Amino acid sequence: MAVTVVTGAVKTKRGATLGYLLPALLLIALFFIVPVLMLLMRSVLEPEVGLQNYKALLGSTTYLRVFLNTFLVAGVVTLVSIVVGYPVAWLLAIMPQKWSRIVLAIIILSMWTNLLARTYAWMVLLQRTGVINKTLMGLGLIDTPLALVNNLVGVTIGMTYIMLPFVILPLMGVIRTIDPAILRAAALCGAGKMQCFLRVLLPLSLPGIAAGALMVFVMSLGYFVTPALLGGTSNMMLAELVAQFVQSLVNWGMGGAAALVLLVVTLALYAVQLRYFNPARGT
Amino acid sequence: MLLDFDKLGGVRTLLIALVALVCLFLILPIVFIAALSFGSSQWLIFPPPSWTFKWYQDLFADPRWLYSALTSLKIAAIVTVLSVVIGFLAALGLDRGRFAGRDLLRALFLTPMILPVVVLAVALYALFLKLGLAGTTIAFVIAHLLIALPFSIISIGNALEGFDRSIEDAAILCGANPWEARLRVTVPAISHGIFGAAVFSFLASWDEVVLAIFMASPTLQTLPVKIWTTLRQDLTPVIAAASTLLIAFTILLMIVAALFRKGRKA
Repeated sequence: MAVTVVTGAVKTKRGATLGYLLPALLLIALFFIVPVLMLLMRSVLEPEVGLQNYKALLGSTTYLRVFLNTFLVAGVVTLVSIVVGYPVAWLLAIMPQKWSRIVLAIIILSMWTNLLARTYAWMVLLQRTGVINKTLMGLGLIDTPLALVNNLVGVTIGMTYIMLPFVILPLMGVIRTIDPAILRAAALCGAGKMQCFLRVLLPLSLPGIAAGALMVFVMSLGYFVTPALLGGTSNMMLAELVAQFVQSLVNWGMGGAAALVLLVVTLALYAVQLRYFNPARGT
Repeated sequence: MLLDFDKLGGVRTLLIALVALVCLFLILPIVFIAALSFGSSQWLIFPPPSWTFKWYQDLFADPRWLYSALTSLKIAAIVTVLSVVIGFLAALGLDRGRFAGRDLLRALFLTPMILPVVVLAVALYALFLKLGLAGTTIAFVIAHLLIALPFSIISIGNALEGFDRSIEDAAILCGANPWEARLRVTVPAISHGIFGAAVFSFLASWDEVVLAIFMASPTLQTLPVKIWTTLRQDLTPVIAAASTLLIAFTILLMIVAALFRKGRKA
């Protein structure tokens, strides 16, 4: 009897709960929703009302190349990250803890190191007189230095470096939840190693692979810093285009239009992620 | 058997070799930058012809580097405090509230984290130009708070989920008022979540580049903006020195986090 009375007294009031949410809500509304909507509005209002900005953006081969670059780089980075990251996640999930701790420390160190410091490292490593070209020439593999920077090759290398941890860590978690007994059973039933991998382990880790791939792809699409520093001006990506319209050209209409395209693609892929790979729903 | 480390057979050697290569790939650029920051070559030749502290002297001789680091520190500190407080309240509201659209609201709070930062940066830049706030500390703090807040809400929200609310109720039963109970019972119990929120909020602001580029003015720059503008001119080894100090700071932070985790287990 006493307990019933007390829980009633302790229960948080509905109004109070909403009050707790108010500061965050105000911040998001005033400085996130409002400015983004205002920017998108400008794409159909400036320089005059209409869709001319979108016509210009989607109708020109220059901008079409930017879209192509963006999807190409994001696609290749995703593919390489998964192909390289999967075996690493696999071994990390099963190796003795004293070793996995060291590997994890290295992954986290690279992840937490300042983004500009990492990008700077690749600018130096990949340049014409950099260590990579020198080593390759020293080994006699190439005669003239390869162009590894100021092009999409450099962007792809730099971004793969950044994205790898984002594939490895979640995939490791997924592989850890797979019951080893299933693989033992497959082996007992006569499946070879290749068959075990292709028909048991890989399908069981597929949800993790798909979720990781989608996340890396979305993150890569909107990346700004690494493409701007490693890519050079002739190989622009979408995020750079948005920045350029606003910063150098002061063309808010076009900037808003490019931002909308980036936003729509991102949110659409995010919706796919929520629909099919929401961890809360256990799929 | 593919998930038994000891029974992998030949596959194991292959996997270990690959993991070793990936580790090298991840660690070498960091080691390389640290080594070059002590090398004497202006053109970053490796291995360096001789060793020197010159780049560190240059770094500390230029007051703009120190000033930008202090600016970063100040903004990150303000952002951390605001992010933890607002994040705690929001997480509490999401945890305790029973109202329609709660999941939607949670998703909304986390959106700034998944949206391309450049879109947010350009949008905020336009707004702050209109409000006359462009290039001010307030602009920096608001921009960084937006991307730091999701980390706080996630970290504190997870901790609250694992916290047994009846302990807080017991304190109220014993005569504490609700806020006294929250501050003296709930907050200590979820301190690991609050600590995590603080670390991630600090790092989110301290390392942030894209928003900062748009919020900066010639007189107000954070450290990443200073590195960015220098980097666009040339690859001077002074940046290697600055990067090395940042890496050392990261390692220090990792050690503190590890010690904290250990202390909590004991």
